Amino acid sequence: MAPERARRGRRSWKRYSSRTFYLFVSPWIIGFTLLTALPLGYALLVSLTNFNGRTDRWRWIGLRNYRELFGDADAVASLVRTLAYTAIAVPLMVAGGLGLAVLLNRRLKGVGLFRTIFFLPSVVPVVAMAIMWKLILNRDAGILNALLEKVSIGPIAWLVDPNAFYALIILTLWGLGGGMVIMLAALQGVPAELEEAAAVDGASRWHVLRHITVPMISPAIFFQVVTGVIAALQIIIQPLLLAETNQVGSVAQVPQNTHLFMVQVYQEFFANNRYGYGSAMLWVFFLVILLITVVVQRSSRLWVHYEVDSEADR
Amino acid sequence: MFDRPVSRRRLLTSSALAAGSALAAPLLAACDAGSGGPSGGGKTVTLTVMYKNNELTKEHIADFEARNPGIRIDFIEYDDTRLNAMLASNEPPDLVRGAAVGSASGNAQQLATALDPYLDSSSVLRKEHLLPANDSFRWDGKRIGAGPYYGIVKDWSQDATLWYNRALFAAARIAPLSTTEAISYDELLEIAKKLTKKSGGKTQVYGLGLEWAWNLWAPISTMILQQGGQLYNTDLTETDMTTPQALRALKWYVDFAKAGVGPTSLDPAPDGADLSLFLAKRMAITQDGYWYGGNFVKEPDEIKDNVAMAPAPVMGDKRISPTYAGWGAYIPAKARHKDEAWKLMEYFMAGPPSQERARSGWGIPALQSQLSLMPQELPYQQQAYQTQQNELRYAGQLPDSPYIGAAGAWHPVLDKHLQRAVKNEITVEAAGKAITDEINKLLKQGKDQIG
Repeated sequence: MAPERARRGRRSWKRYSSRTFYLFVSPWIIGFTLLTALPLGYALLVSLTNFNGRTDRWRWIGLRNYRELFGDADAVASLVRTLAYTAIAVPLMVAGGLGLAVLLNRRLKGVGLFRTIFFLPSVVPVVAMAIMWKLILNRDAGILNALLEKVSIGPIAWLVDPNAFYALIILTLWGLGGGMVIMLAALQGVPAELEEAAAVDGASRWHVLRHITVPMISPAIFFQVVTGVIAALQIIIQPLLLAETNQVGSVAQVPQNTHLFMVQVYQEFFANNRYGYGSAMLWVFFLVILLITVVVQRSSRLWVHYEVDSEADR
Repeated sequence: MFDRPVSRRRLLTSSALAAGSALAAPLLAACDAGSGGPSGGGKTVTLTVMYKNNELTKEHIADFEARNPGIRIDFIEYDDTRLNAMLASNEPPDLVRGAAVGSASGNAQQLATALDPYLDSSSVLRKEHLLPANDSFRWDGKRIGAGPYYGIVKDWSQDATLWYNRALFAAARIAPLSTTEAISYDELLEIAKKLTKKSGGKTQVYGLGLEWAWNLWAPISTMILQQGGQLYNTDLTETDMTTPQALRALKWYVDFAKAGVGPTSLDPAPDGADLSLFLAKRMAITQDGYWYGGNFVKEPDEIKDNVAMAPAPVMGDKRISPTYAGWGAYIPAKARHKDEAWKLMEYFMAGPPSQERARSGWGIPALQSQLSLMPQELPYQQQAYQTQQNELRYAGQLPDSPYIGAAGAWHPVLDKHLQRAVKNEITVEAAGKAITDEINKLLKQGKDQIG
């Protein structure tokens, strides 16, 4: 009788446990289904049509959009540009965030104030930040050129080619305070005795950072790399806002050097009304991002160190 | 009520219900939003209107509702993406803001209602009173300018005309421009070079601002028409930007950009528009329509006393001075309350709002009968009025193919290849060829779409 009751109790607990689990995750599942999975499926269907977003005059065209995409020089060039931007921006963001975090992970007077100052730009809305940088980088009236002029440099047209790319990188780096906070939290989890022991053994600060601190916080760095890569690949607002135009969202004035893949997608959707083709571009891009994420994930085995043994945890 | 302990299970159930309700509420509200009830029957009809709130204002709406007790307006701020979604789901607004130039695509796809039956029976909006800008809203199944009207223009301008600062002309010892005779584009560029002042790598005064640098398609099309050329072939399915007329137009723009006499996409104005430079006396000429004069009314005398309007320049023998947009409104083909929408159209295009607009000087009214309302109190307004009256004789329509969005699709292509020509990466001829290929690809796709 007693084992039977125990078995029933275990089963009931198991049922209760799984029910609770699904109930807890249901808001996310519902959100994911309605806001991600369904639109993804819908976009896949649209990508197989010549839908223009306005009329019901569309028809199935199979994989024609996908075939066209692989021969579209503009789309391919914008993808290459996006990959180059990601390859430059993400390491700078991660290294910059880590550098700031290391500097501010000390017991210094007023360190809280510095942390706040460095974090503040990342909470400023991107629109305000872009407008501010547009003013700073303005060729004729910008403060940066005014300063450079003092040392006989310029004036430089930052917001147009070939310099627009650097302006975009500057705008991106301005928000590295968010990464800094994550790195700072990770640094504070590094046991002080490990670093002290290394220092006692004669390791320099650089060696401690390289061989103790960075491996210890590598999961946080990995997180930053993955989220940074995805965000950098999907960037669109910043190039549009930095473009010299009086028409909000006008894709036409985005310089070639910052005409990234999502800007090209935006152009296909809203300038050319090619919703089918734009959807095909998005699906291919989704697969590219997925592939890059998998590669980064796989590479993490080589450089990310977890303190918890995942096998023993099972 | 809150003193009873809440169990974890109850909390979860309540949360799920709350989340479900939160999700369902907007969906239900959205379903309800479309139900304005059918026209007539003594019920109040809710008219869904998508416009810009600084054009169709709250005051206009209140006035219209007071004059039409059976009609209530549900106003939606103009938004392209939302409009597309509403059109695609067959739940369009009853009246929508739209431009006459570029309307061929929507008209060919039967998105708009033919307004001729309404115009024929209207006492305030009559075909014979409509000024030429409205012709761009006409579509006969093959071309614009003929067939039924699919929209009415709110107000418009002949956008290639010039505004200039006479004081800057005097300082450069250049005679003022004629108020009636059109200057050639080549002469204009020469004058612009003389008016431009540079120092230390910076431009102190720009000679000429081509406000339309954000819409290259319209002015380049105009230049081609002025030389007797055509932008499209007869069935509007192909373009050829390698013709002598097209190449001359492209070359002029490349020369203008290389001369550095005005902002371009490679050397843009700080805020992307000419106005601040023009008001700061850092730009001598700006190419803008009559509407631009509305900017100067509240400016100091040194601006008001020195601005003047001149006719649109020409490139060739034919003097054509078209509108580049002609904003107005149309009634979607699947609108639910067309009769009530027409009442609003009559009120907005021929009633008190249209008279207000005509008096303001922010554009030419769309009705012949309202031309006399255009402002003439200030000397510059009188001069602009006279120049504008003369310019009306040269109003014409820009070409419009149903297979491509006008400025929206053309401009990125033109700008991309012309930038390369300005930077000497390719020749003007190569730019013309590349533009032709790319636009023809878009036209082919459009043809495939519409059939």
